[in-house]
Amino acid sequence: MGPLIPNGIIPEEWNSIIAILIGIFFGFVLEASGFSSSRKLAGVFYGYDFAVLKVFFTAALVAMIGILYMDYLGYLDMATLYVHPTYLWGAIIGGAIMGVGFVAGGFCPGTSLCAVAIGKIDAIVYVIGIMIGVFIFSELYSLFQPIYEGYFEGNITLMDSFGFNRYWFVLIFSIIAIVAFAVSDIVRKKVKSIFY
Amino acid sequence: MDSKKLEKNTSLNYIILAGILLVLAGGLVLLPKYQKHEGINPEILLNKAISSERYISTDILADRLINQDPSFILIDVRNEDEYAKYSLPNAINIPLKKLLDEDSIPYLNQAQYNVILFSNDNYYADQAWFLCNRLSYKNLKVLKGGLNTWYNTIINPTIPTENMTSLDFELFNTRKAASMFFGVAYPEQFKVDKPIIVKKAAPKKVITVEKKKKKPAEGGC
Repeated sequence: MGPLIPNGIIPEEWNSIIAILIGIFFGFVLEASGFSSSRKLAGVFYGYDFAVLKVFFTAALVAMIGILYMDYLGYLDMATLYVHPTYLWGAIIGGAIMGVGFVAGGFCPGTSLCAVAIGKIDAIVYVIGIMIGVFIFSELYSLFQPIYEGYFEGNITLMDSFGFNRYWFVLIFSIIAIVAFAVSDIVRKKVKSIFY
Repeated sequence: MDSKKLEKNTSLNYIILAGILLVLAGGLVLLPKYQKHEGINPEILLNKAISSERYISTDILADRLINQDPSFILIDVRNEDEYAKYSLPNAINIPLKKLLDEDSIPYLNQAQYNVILFSNDNYYADQAWFLCNRLSYKNLKVLKGGLNTWYNTIINPTIPTENMTSLDFELFNTRKAASMFFGVAYPEQFKVDKPIIVKKAAPKKVITVEKKKKKPAEGGC
């Protein structure tokens, strides 16, 4: 049956409209759960708020378990899902830069736009920073191109590259998540709480 | 006091949620595994199999060959000997037993051309068609009736009898013309029309009256 659009259950033309609706809803949920505050987001690095860790870990797990069940029951064909291609060193370097930006600015690109929407000045400065970064990257593209397009590993998943059993992987990943949540709670209680 | 109770409640909630997560993840491990059906879904395959669109008639094929339609490739699934003896023009030989070889894949698994499979009958071609469909290859067609029908319709079309419709005669003429294209020679092609002998009008006899040459007077004495 699924995915709905590639299998023609929802016409192709609805693609962008649905994307915009999901985007609006996603932004709303981010803002409603306080993710437009840089203090809350940065809390995960200082140990006074682990909402980011919990939310994204849980989201990944719910999606993973849901997809696997739907695939098992035949509602979704997992083979047709898009797997993002891996450019190994591009991803590592980009991830490190993004991490530094996250700690320093207190936003990730998505939440920064969310915060701009409610008029946070630090977020506006942050987005201008992103634009400058994009500009520098584009200007020096020929310099970065070998890294950007090199080390291509194809559309691989952890299961493909390490040969894990995906079901065991999900179970172990869930246990790791729950342990991480418990540990983060203990850390949060030990760290002096900050009001923001 | 109240806040402590609340905290206890929330921590209990989280434990329950964590439990549900574990149960769901563990359920995936414990589920009985089954071999997932790879390739085409049986219902879709059946729909394709009973659709008349999977066949191409010899007449249409002949028309396309004559018009040098570049949109298809012909695949002969008979074995090499038979292919060597006779095949359709520009056909590629992929015997049925070599269908799954790596060399055959580029011809069969592509989206650029329609693939027309044929054999003597459509029996082996149908088998090839099913196998290729199971591998989810696209744009596959089978020559209806195979080379036998090709022979009976295009190469050696039956001459319509007098009580048949004009359409049959037209069809026959088309097929005959097609067969000429594929190299069949008809006796009437060689019947050279007798040159009409135009009798040349007998040239008028011009009676020339020879003038008597005046004899020069012979000399007398």
